[in-house]
Amino acid sequence: MIGKAEIDHLAGRLGRENIYTEKEDLLVLGYDSTPEMHHLPDVVVYPRSQDDVVFAVDFCRQEGLPIVPRGSGTGLSGGSAPVQGGMVVCMTRMNRVLEIDEENLTATVEPGVITLDLFNAVAAKGLFYPPDPGSQTISTIGGNVAENAGGLRGLKYGVTRNYVMGISGVLADGTSIQAGNKCVKDVAGYALRDIFIGSEGTLGIMTQVTVRLINPPKAKRTFLAHFQDIRTAGQAVSKIIASRIIPSTLEIMDRTTINCVEDYKGIGLPRYMAALLLIEVDGHPAVVAEEADGVRKVLESIRADAIHEAKDAAEADRLAAARRTALSAVARVSPTTILEDATVPRSCLSETFAEIERLKAKYNVRVATFGHAGDGNLHPTAVTDERNRDEIRRVHDFFSELYEKVLALGGTVSGEHGIGLAKRDYLQRQIGPGGVGVMKRIKVAFDPAGIMNPCKMFPDEAGGAGGGNAEKGGSHA
Amino acid sequence: MPETAALGNFAPEDAPSYESILQCMRCGFCLAVCPTYSLTNRERSSPRGRAALARAVAERKLEFTRAVKEEAFYCLDCRACSTACPSGVKVGPIMEFCRSQSHVFHPLPPAAGLLRTFILRKMLPSAELMETSMLPMRLYQRLGLQRAMRNLGVNRLLPALLSKMEGILPALERPLRQVLPRQIPARGTKRGRVGFFLGCAMSLTFPEVSRQTARVLAQQGFDVVTPREVKCCGAPHLAEGDRRTARELAAMNLDLFSGLGVDWIVTDCAGCGCALKEYEEILDGRIEHGRLEAFRRKVRDVSELLAEAGLRTEGFKPFPSSVTYHEPCHLAHGQGVSAQPRHLIRQIPGVEYREMKEANWCCGMAGSFALKELEASRRILDRKLANVRATGAEFLVTANPGCHLQLAWGVRQARMKQPVLHIMELLGRVIPE
Repeated sequence: MIGKAEIDHLAGRLGRENIYTEKEDLLVLGYDSTPEMHHLPDVVVYPRSQDDVVFAVDFCRQEGLPIVPRGSGTGLSGGSAPVQGGMVVCMTRMNRVLEIDEENLTATVEPGVITLDLFNAVAAKGLFYPPDPGSQTISTIGGNVAENAGGLRGLKYGVTRNYVMGISGVLADGTSIQAGNKCVKDVAGYALRDIFIGSEGTLGIMTQVTVRLINPPKAKRTFLAHFQDIRTAGQAVSKIIASRIIPSTLEIMDRTTINCVEDYKGIGLPRYMAALLLIEVDGHPAVVAEEADGVRKVLESIRADAIHEAKDAAEADRLAAARRTALSAVARVSPTTILEDATVPRSCLSETFAEIERLKAKYNVRVATFGHAGDGNLHPTAVTDERNRDEIRRVHDFFSELYEKVLALGGTVSGEHGIGLAKRDYLQRQIGPGGVGVMKRIKVAFDPAGIMNPCKMFPDEAGGAGGGNAEKGGSHA
Repeated sequence: MPETAALGNFAPEDAPSYESILQCMRCGFCLAVCPTYSLTNRERSSPRGRAALARAVAERKLEFTRAVKEEAFYCLDCRACSTACPSGVKVGPIMEFCRSQSHVFHPLPPAAGLLRTFILRKMLPSAELMETSMLPMRLYQRLGLQRAMRNLGVNRLLPALLSKMEGILPALERPLRQVLPRQIPARGTKRGRVGFFLGCAMSLTFPEVSRQTARVLAQQGFDVVTPREVKCCGAPHLAEGDRRTARELAAMNLDLFSGLGVDWIVTDCAGCGCALKEYEEILDGRIEHGRLEAFRRKVRDVSELLAEAGLRTEGFKPFPSSVTYHEPCHLAHGQGVSAQPRHLIRQIPGVEYREMKEANWCCGMAGSFALKELEASRRILDRKLANVRATGAEFLVTANPGCHLQLAWGVRQARMKQPVLHIMELLGRVIPE
């Protein structure tokens, strides 16, 4: 706990308006978008500069307080929940775009810049920042880098990691470091930058990020294909990739999702279809024309039950509507929505869908599946009610068994959401004690005192969902 | 909902339902569209934060503290978060319940409480009292005092609040309710019979606009029935947390309009329309559901009805000007009526329609917010005016009296040239005589 004298000390440096200690603020800054995870920080600060961050980190080290970095709180693995209390450091007020360098095709920003704002700022100069996580209208670049966020364009354009060139940050001992730069090639020493990406706030706090920019595509073609058998949809994905076509979007929705969309918006999707694929190819007009032909040929050769191609932008919007509406349609079915992140080699899609159907029946749970088929990155989404403890237990058992299958297929427990609190046990299963051991030694090298975002990623740390300042939801019922 | 057992630390009467709060999955999509979060960058002043505070009260993790009350009233109730929310949470209405709770836990000081009770329980429910109360202002304008004040710049010496109150009112005419004929027959081929819900703000501050609404409806082939016994729709009461009076008014309007034998119940005020469409929820469990549903099915904003019926454009005079449109929150977010007004504007011959950036972002009026939170309201308005200015459009069109007052005041203050028109005024200028 920290007292008034300490708060005054912080306020003297950071400004009273950048520190919150009232219960009403603490209650709303200890969660992200992960269900059932809610903890209370002791204090929340909003640094305005690198110096402010150094000051906050020094303060926490001296006071022995845990320090938890946070962006907009849209994470899906509990990464920014302050499990042991301490100080939450919100980066959203460090939100300046510092530079767009058109000669080197880079942008340098503070970590609190909103993803879509960066996209728009560079688009105004005719450039393109591709990573587009689902929360891009409010997620921060710092959060995207910390979680190595993906998005719909991942298949063709890659994820956040593929665009980060340089990171400035502050380590737990107060040291400022710079990792990476604007150079296209850089092999000087260990790739510290790459260790920072996806480190979930456990190694330090980012204060500046330099990202790579590319040319935007000049043309785009959009298809929507219907399938009565989900295995055919899986084959379509494999065949498109095998024909050496990399679409910018290759998204799938299963029958449960289709029916949720119809219940909500009634846009005329056939309810008896087992799957829909939304396919977009983009790039140079000549290449796009060739790839669009290729996509159509694949869809015809495997006998998709219907193939729609958009004639113009408005129709492309209509075709994409179903996928765009998927989350909304599924989320409003019930109070609690558990959005998971199972990812397999894309040749294993059909098998994964079959397993999902088998496990839905076995555990008697409602799960709608949609996601980035081209990446093999699926979002099986359980619609449930956290007050129904029996159902919640069955949902967790469902996912646990599904992840066994995913790992058996050579998949991963997280394609884009991160480990955080939610998947600590799964990480161990995937990479084994050897891998976890190395990761822990890396963690100790950066943060010997263990004050940076404690209890995240590794299963046998103290605390967890039930420890510390737990504020678990659902206790009302 | 009827009163049930107390929910957590809420008072038993008029508490939000636990389901409505629990539906929030904290994805944060609402933060991007919330004007007060944009101003403060403070989570508790965001829809997600407000829902979490309500949940903490419901789960007995927090008393209904003064800060909860403050956030409930600092919310603009603009409903932009309802549009953005994937899971269907309606934080605006949840905050309306919290405002009602505020009066239990943090009552106003006696004098202010009496004034509030007088305004909400006596004045607003009575059209006659409202009209009488406006007389001194009309006199002040009629005698040229307002012009004198403005010319001398005296009004600028007033405290900011009084200056805004004085400056925001348009030239007042005789209230329309007293003079609009009870029945206006349809012209041309008749397409139906509408009950015109003439709202207080329209009748008192924009009588000429609503006169045009009735004229346009008749020209478009609708018999227009305007009952003088109409009561306030109850929106101000929901906004100020007096749900009991809101229910009384709703029940009276429901009786009145259900008995008119009309095909539709139409209003040209987005705030009224939104409230009328919520009677079903407000009176749920208190009035037979079939009657509520039948009423709800008939309510239309005037743009919604005209777009649905199809605008008859024969004989329209050209309006060769550029026009931009500001979406009233209670139309776009409260009722989901967004494409229809634009569709009508585009059908007017000669109009060059120019979409503004953030057309569905609040203008900062938000009921009494514009007078209670002068500085915040001003900043929200400035953002809106910058977007209007960027279009270079010659006319600024909207569809709600609150927005109309705020935008007209803002345009005047910023010395911008765009006249502000209600969409029915615009149509009134182009339909044949």
